[in-house]
This record gives sequence, C-alpha cells and structure tokens, in this order.
Amino acid sequence: MNPQTHVRYEAALKVTGQARYEGEVMPPGMLHAALVESPVACGEVLSVDAARAETVPGFATIVTRADSESLRPSGATALIREKAIHFHGQPVALVAASTGSQAREAARAVHVATRVQPAVTHLDQAAGAAFAPAAVGRFPAASRRGDPSRALSEAELIVRNRYTTDVNNHHPMEPHAVVCWWEDHRAVVHTSTQAVFATRASIAHAFDMPAGDIRVLSRFLGGGFGCKGQLWWPWMFWAMLASRKAGRPVRLELSRAQMFTLVGRRQATTQDLSLGFVDGRLTAIEHDVVAQTSTHADFSDSTAVYTRLLYACPNVSTAHKLVRTNEPHPVPMRAPGTAPGTFALESAMDEAAGQLGIDPLELRMRNFAAHDQESGRPWSSNRLLECYRVGAERFGWARRHERAKSKVGRWTVGFGMATTLYPAIRQACKARVRLSLDGSLVVQCGTQDMGSGTYTALGQIAADALGIPMAKVTVELGDTWLPDGPFSGGSQVTASIFPAVEAATSKLRAMLANLAVGDPGAPLGGRRPQEIEFRDEMVRGRSSNVAERLVDLLARGPADGLAAEGECAATDHQALAATGMGYGAIFVEIGVDAELGEIRVRRVCGTFAAGRILNPLLARSQFIGGLIGGIGMALHEQTVTDRATGCILGKSFTDYLIPVHADMPEFDIAMIEEDDPHLPGGVKGIGMLGTAGIQAGIANALHDAIGRRVRHLPIRIEDCLASAY
Amino acid sequence: MNPDTTALPLADEKHLPMPRIALSMTINGARYDIETASTATLLDVIRDQLGLTGTKKGCDMGGCGACTVLVEGRRIASCLALAASFSDAVLTTIEGIGTADRLHPLQAAFIRHDALQCGYCTPGQILSGIALLSENPRSFEEIREGMSGNLCRCGAYPGIVAAIAEVAGL
Repeated sequence: MNPQTHVRYEAALKVTGQARYEGEVMPPGMLHAALVESPVACGEVLSVDAARAETVPGFATIVTRADSESLRPSGATALIREKAIHFHGQPVALVAASTGSQAREAARAVHVATRVQPAVTHLDQAAGAAFAPAAVGRFPAASRRGDPSRALSEAELIVRNRYTTDVNNHHPMEPHAVVCWWEDHRAVVHTSTQAVFATRASIAHAFDMPAGDIRVLSRFLGGGFGCKGQLWWPWMFWAMLASRKAGRPVRLELSRAQMFTLVGRRQATTQDLSLGFVDGRLTAIEHDVVAQTSTHADFSDSTAVYTRLLYACPNVSTAHKLVRTNEPHPVPMRAPGTAPGTFALESAMDEAAGQLGIDPLELRMRNFAAHDQESGRPWSSNRLLECYRVGAERFGWARRHERAKSKVGRWTVGFGMATTLYPAIRQACKARVRLSLDGSLVVQCGTQDMGSGTYTALGQIAADALGIPMAKVTVELGDTWLPDGPFSGGSQVTASIFPAVEAATSKLRAMLANLAVGDPGAPLGGRRPQEIEFRDEMVRGRSSNVAERLVDLLARGPADGLAAEGECAATDHQALAATGMGYGAIFVEIGVDAELGEIRVRRVCGTFAAGRILNPLLARSQFIGGLIGGIGMALHEQTVTDRATGCILGKSFTDYLIPVHADMPEFDIAMIEEDDPHLPGGVKGIGMLGTAGIQAGIANALHDAIGRRVRHLPIRIEDCLASAY
Repeated sequence: MNPDTTALPLADEKHLPMPRIALSMTINGARYDIETASTATLLDVIRDQLGLTGTKKGCDMGGCGACTVLVEGRRIASCLALAASFSDAVLTTIEGIGTADRLHPLQAAFIRHDALQCGYCTPGQILSGIALLSENPRSFEEIREGMSGNLCRCGAYPGIVAAIAEVAGL
C-alpha cells in the first residue's frame, strides 16, 4: 500500500473556527470557577475563610479540602484531601460564580491562613537527600553491563563532563478546561485531556461510582505535549464537586500563569557523563542523572536509558536519582528522557570526535550498535546508518570544513549534527467500523487527537482498507462512549489504532467478500472470497475486470448496513523478540552574531527512519513540529523559580519564550522507508523523534561556529557574546 | 497574627455589583446589542457572551495572538481590548471569514499546506494572516516578522508561512 497524502481530516472545521474545544461547551446556567492559590511554597493550610468571598455579586459556591473528604484517597486526590502545601500556587480552594471575573474576584477575597515551613527551592539545598526512583518510566532506574570504571581507566581518551538542562513547561495553546455537570448520579465531563479513559477511571475511583455512569469527552484538544494528564485531575474533581454542590454546570479554565505550576513540567537535569574510547571505539560509558521531583510524588524521565543502547559499547552503567523540592511536579514532556539524554550523549560524542580528530558523523557510524546490546535482542528494524548517509548528503555535511568558519553577512556559520531515537510501542485499542447502505463509512475509537493527526489516521486506515474515499468517511473519537482507545502520548497512538482498525476492516472485508460471491447472479458470484479486493468503492476479482459497486453489494445485506469491531493488545515488553526503535539524524546550520550574542538556527535537515509512514504530509508536519519544540528547549525555554519564595517567576509568554515565526529555519525533512516485520503494520511512532537530538545538534554547531562548548540548556545570549569566549 | 502564619490580605472594599453598560457592535455583518460589565474584555464578550468560540483564549495577556480579531480590517488582540471601547465598531471574527463550503483562499491554503495541527491558534493565525496580506508582504521574511505575534506550539509555522506566501503570490 502506498502512502497517501490525504489532507487533515478535521482541517476545514479548524480553519473556520467551527471545531468546538471542550471548554467551549456552554450548557445553560453554567457557573465559572476560579482557583484560590497558596501564597507560600511549604507548610499547611490552617483555615479557609470564604465570608468575604460570599459577598461578591454572583458568588455561588466554594469547594475546599473539607469537601474533598467525600473523595476516596489516592495519588490523584492527595493534593485536595490533605492540609500540606507542597509548592507556591498550589490551589487551596475553588470558587464558582456567575461570570469568570466574578469568580476571580471572589477567589481573591477568600482568606487563607497557613502555617509556613522552610521551603526547599533549589536542587542543591537537598542534594544530600538524593534517592533512586523505583523506575524511570517503564525502565529500571539503574543499569550496568561489563565493567565501565575499569574500562575507563584503560581508555585512550576519556571525555568526562557535566551537562545540565533547565525546567521547561509544555504550554499547549489551549489552557486546560473542564465543563462538567451531573445528571442525577451520572457525570458528564467535557475536558481537555490526553486520556479520556484514564480520566474516566480516575473519576470512577475518586467519586466511588461506576465508570458506566461517567462520560468524558475530548473531541478537539488544543495540544497537550504531556501536560493534559493526571496532574489536571484534582482541579477537575473540584470543579465536579462544585457542580454537584451548586446543582449547576461548572466551567474551570486554567490561566496561562497556572500552566506553569499546576499541570507539570519537564524536570531539570544534571547529568555527569563519561565516555571512554580505544581506537575511536566506545569502550566505556557512565551516565549519572540527578533530577528534580516534587515533595508529593516521584517522577523521573528515562534520561539515561537511551545511552544504554544507542551505541555499541561493552561497558555501560547508568543511574538516575531524584531530589525533592517545593516546586511543581514534573511529568513527561515532548521526547521525555531522550531530549535531555541525547543533549548530553550527543554533545559528548561531538567533543570526543574533536579530540580524536574524527569527523563527528564518522565517529557515530563507527560506533553503530548492530543490535540492542542492553537486552541482547536484535532491532525490529534499524536504518539509522541510512539516515546518517542520506541526511549528510542532503545537508551537504561534506562542506563542513570549507563552510564552517565562513561568514554570511553578520553571521558566523557553524554545522552540527546529532542522533535522535525513541521506542516504538503500542497500547491496547479497540475500534469499530460501520458501512451504511449508501457506501459511507463511520470509524469509531475513543482515543483523542491532540493535534497529531489521529482523526486522519483512523479514517485513512479504514478508508484505504475498504477502497472508500476519505470524503465518505466519518471519524468519531474523543468520547468514552466509543470503543476503548489509547491515551495520546509516547508516540504510540497510530501504532495502537492501526492493528485495531485493520482487524475491524478485515472482518468487514470478509463479510463483503462473502456477500459478493454468495449470490450466483451477482457479477462476482461463485468466486472464492480470497480473490476479492476493494478499490474505488467497488469489489473486484483480483485477476479479472469483473467488479460490483459496493452500494449494490450492501443493498443485498442487512438493512442497517454492516459493522465490525477489532482490537489489539498492548506491547508485551517481556515477550518481545526484537527491540523496536525509531531513529533520526539531525543536521543543523546555525549563525552566530558574536557582537549581539544572537544565535539563529538557519537550516535543519531531519532524516528519520520510523517504520511505515501512513501519511507523508502529516508526518512531515509532526517531524517539523517536533524539531521546533527542540529548538525551543535548546535556545528559548527556561522556567525560573524565585529561590527566596519558591514562586515561579515570569509566568507569561513575555518571559517564558517559545519559538515564533521569526525564529524559523529552513527545514528539509526526509523519511527513510522501513519494512518492519516485527511491528503490526510496520508502524512506529513519529511524534517524539523531532524533539530530541536537535538540542545537541545546535550546541555542536555553536562549537563549530565559534569554538565555544556550551553544556547547559537553554543556550543563552551571554553564551554567545564575543567576550564570553 | 502569629509570625509563622501568613494570609492573603483582607479586601476592605465592599464588593459592589459591577457597573453594566449597553453596546452595539457589528460582527461579521450582523448587529449585536449587548449588555455587559463595563470591565469586560472584547474577547470575553465575543467568546462567552455571544458564543463565537472560534476566537480563542490562549493567554489573556496579549502574548499569543490566539484571540486575534479584525477591527475594520486591522488585527488586534481582543483580550487586551475593552469591549466598551468598541461601541459601534465593525469587527470580523473567524466565523465571518469563510465556511467549510466557501473557504477563504487563505483557509484553503492552510488546509493544502497542512498549516495546523491542534488548531487552537489557527483562527488567530488566519485573521492575522489576512490582515498581513492587506499590508502587502514582499518576502517570506516579512511574513515571518509580521506573523510573529501569533504563537503556535505544535510547530505549524512553516506551513502557515507557505500558505500566506502562496496567497500573496510569492
């Protein structure tokens, strides 16, 4: 099957403003909610006095910890059931009123008394209490193969450095929102979530009610990138409690400032990395990561996990540790683990190449891992070497030495490159397809589309399997009334829905084939069902020109058309015969104006080997979007805590910079085809690949341009000023 | 007060009902007679009161451009505009640009260039792009500069600029 460049399924709704995001649902009588935030970073709530708030015109109700006692204790309800204050800005109450401004005014009028305790506002304050997390994602926190310390002592070259990355926030353009109400004992929850089914399960547990009495909808989602998950639930629960208390629908929308504190962040890392080489080959790696987590839960990115398997190396140890601070809790964010991890590893490889006098690309090809040395398994497929070759050719890497020190106007130009990778996994998924008598197709799966193209992928997989044009396909998703689908994260949705939709359409094809051959008077009557294929809204004999229109065929079937369901199981990590990874090679050209300290990414060539590409148009958008996220991490984004108070400083887009149109380089995206026999449909994830590697590529290009090695992110103006090097 | 106890300052003022005002506006060719709080932003009136939810609230501080609307063809951030200042104004929101059956050329170009992912910034990008087109941008660079008040977190920027450039004939 050839890749198809169908345009985005829901694009017309989005460009005309008709796509309705869940916070825009407006039931009659709806109240607006606002959160009351803790003015301190550590301590406990002594009392919440709403007497004055109740005098604000429009005031309807207030929800506090006392109301949360009706909820069942769990990780998801701890912050709203307990007195403890863990970070500055932690909500201590929710107020609902007739309008948004009344709710905010009432929230400001709530009197909160707190007992203050000394806050830990910097990793260094508690470094002595660092501890190893139970796991990093689905991986062990530490690993060891061979004897890396001995191998380092015997190495011809050791590259040993500390790399640090700063806190980032996700900042989808749509702030979190919920519009919820109760219909007797049933709950209707319209909310921006990357996981409608997990959200339903969290409500079922917290409110101790059957999942069947809860409907969660997220049909249009204005981005997520990892933050529209579990950290949103406590505040959503409070909105639901307010709705129950007031007997009216309630809407809660987070402010942009609250997106810095309430819904997660990419954790800061301090990474100590040592590489040992003999004869240009890696003989030892030690990668130790220390990262921040909150005082109310543990979270660690899988930062050093990819160091275990990217290169061939007999002696590797990795370890992760966490330090608790009174700062907001971290969660996965775009290329979790690989983004900070490859910054360290791929910067260090560049440093090693310089010291060895070997071209950085050549050094990577020389150390290519022909199999997964950590697990001992083969790769399910791995065309990384092809990515290196094709990318270098397209980018003009060979001109590195002639061009690298050249000046273009005020810009000193540098080239850099790095590798990116991300695991290919999938979740359990169900899908339903229904063909009506008029030949139109409905595809249903409860998963949501956070902008990554899930509507299009669902429709396209089913349409292609049945030979139906996309114009006749309706896709329904983002609703727990639909078949169970995966959460949107970890680059796994397409890989998860593909086998489920394929299973459903296979059943439908079998039904149609039987109808086609079962009637002796029909054009294909009497043939074998296996000979039937589906193209251009027709069923055809594979080896002849005989065909029948799908609608004629359907007219002989049941009056309500034909329907089928399919499902697939999640990846069974224990039973894997091969390790599935997507790869990419990122080549970057930057310009530096050393007088202004300005750094510009001028050109990016991303070459990716990520299994079968279903839709090159949308895949290209995903890769470019990921790369732009990586540029933000490399050059712009930095969440700063005031160490005296624990308050996050500059909680707005004027202080927290993200890439804008004017920051855009020229992009060249190449996709290397892979035929992966181990993965269903040969589909790997693509969403994360662009957001790793590029950070090191930029840092390496900066070193190439001006000879300065920057080992922290984001790279700042002061790192590039002439006086600094 | 106990020295280790802090509290948000008590508001001394009485909470009086917000003064309300009457306004008329023409939005997408239709006349709206509105009664609203004197402090209401244009964005909140458009989005919450009139239910024209194609205009988005991304930051409510003029920092992201998601709330862009046109006032007599000129683009403004409606979250920074007091509704009261726009009495008798002629406004255009995304709902007045085109429909799925009759797309504006820039809307059609956005679809062809896949200039959107999650879609939340898209109405603002399109309105800003339409206003920019009337300013006759002469290069891709001018388009990028002229569009830099409209943030996109998914990273659809290259497609957006390509779509505007195509309509501009560049």
